[in-house]
Amino acid sequence: MVVERINEILGAKPVDAGGALSSGAYVICGDSATDVTVAEGTTAQLLIADAPGAIEINIDVERGANLSIVHLVTEHSSTNISIAVAEGGVCRMTQAVISSSDSRVVASLVGSGARFELGGVFVITDEDQTSVTVDVNHMVADTVSRTMVKGVASGNAHGSFSGLVYVAPDAQHTDSVQSSRNVTIGTARIETLPQLEIYADDVKCSHGATVGQMDVDAILYMRQRGLSLVDAKRLQIEGFVDDVVLHASVEGITDALTELLGEKLTRL
Amino acid sequence: MLKVENLHASVGDKMILKGINLEVKAGEVHAIMGPNGSGKSTLASVLAGNEKFTVTEGSVEFEGENLLDLNIEERSRRGLFLGFQYPVEIPGVTMANFMKLAVNEQRKARGLEPLTAAEYLRMMKEKSAIVELDSKLTSRAVNEGFSGGEKKKNEIFQMAMLEPKLSILDETDSGLDIDALRIVATGVTRLKTKENATVVITHYQRLLDYIVPDYVHVLYKGRIIYTGDKSLALKLEKEGYDWLINDYKEE
Repeated sequence: MVVERINEILGAKPVDAGGALSSGAYVICGDSATDVTVAEGTTAQLLIADAPGAIEINIDVERGANLSIVHLVTEHSSTNISIAVAEGGVCRMTQAVISSSDSRVVASLVGSGARFELGGVFVITDEDQTSVTVDVNHMVADTVSRTMVKGVASGNAHGSFSGLVYVAPDAQHTDSVQSSRNVTIGTARIETLPQLEIYADDVKCSHGATVGQMDVDAILYMRQRGLSLVDAKRLQIEGFVDDVVLHASVEGITDALTELLGEKLTRL
Repeated sequence: MLKVENLHASVGDKMILKGINLEVKAGEVHAIMGPNGSGKSTLASVLAGNEKFTVTEGSVEFEGENLLDLNIEERSRRGLFLGFQYPVEIPGVTMANFMKLAVNEQRKARGLEPLTAAEYLRMMKEKSAIVELDSKLTSRAVNEGFSGGEKKKNEIFQMAMLEPKLSILDETDSGLDIDALRIVATGVTRLKTKENATVVITHYQRLLDYIVPDYVHVLYKGRIIYTGDKSLALKLEKEGYDWLINDYKEE
């Protein structure tokens, strides 16, 4: 439902057999292997919606091209997305995961001035087993990456985040921030494994990871004002993931994303 | 409105309230004073329904209902408000969103329709004026980055929005400079009607210069050991609690 709505908001069309994107919005849906190229100087949007099974996508963002990706994981699936960003290219990605799944994004910044940003949220409940991997390779000098992934798990769910920032020997002036923030409820588990592998000496790289519990004082406070326990928890988690949703890579989908996550949040 | 009889409550193995008796009627203002550790905040928390505390004995009736049968949100929806001593910060949740949910829960409990967006905005504007709360704060996350004074004003703003029958204000005056104290206290006084009641928990007499109580109770070691009128607060300010506590020990 929400996937269709976002599709409609974007006015997306399927990717052609050749995989070349010109300016506009596109959608890849389902179980397939696809190669996609965003031509030099082009601005495009790409919605990736999974279907049960495996999906493999290779994306080339050519010189000065600008690609915004929305990746929705709503089915039991395995996704591999490789992205190469050339000189002056920008790739911004928003990822929302609400099911058992295995998703892996590998972004390589291969041209000077290339930029990659990923804001991700996973919300998992019950027996969900979910793993999210984001690897960023800074292959040349003067590239920028930003990764922020927020995880929420309840019930018997088990989530894991793994993120590698690799900086090649000549990739001076790399500017990279990676952050993994997680909240677990009850006996649910989230593991986070942030890694830095740096072979250049003039770089700015930071990373941080936390796993915490819900703030019981905040929940008490909200209930004292008349909110039910369920609403108080939902509001707190919405607040927690809000910055990722508000800064979605594509304008106009905030409400749809909130709805997608909101439905799952009622099951926490 | 509120009738507390022989209330005993503990946290863990520690008994904190050891037989509280208190009756609050509509239109009244009660002040509860007492030295640190006497159980004032515990009394507020227990009445609000904080599950950290266990009631081991006694009864609490609120508007003819057994309050102890109700959970914290049900108590709130019946018209009980607690002004927190330490208001909690909730990152990412705006005041406006939070209060809209809260106000509509209260309205639902009273059999009223939810407010329209326009009605709600008008209400926020009107109520924030009562405590001179900067209207920009309502678009910010709940209490996040608020100053001490703003947090306390924000408590009274919420009280104004929710229109409770009984408000328990737990050390709303602590950490306030004299201007903020005046604004907060004036706000509380303006919200007073013949139909509602206020219980003010405080350390200092100065708050009671603005919020004039009908009764002043002294809480000590989990019991109300003395009740007087507003002159009691002045006497306590001047002479401290020793004369009362000494009397109590002799009993």
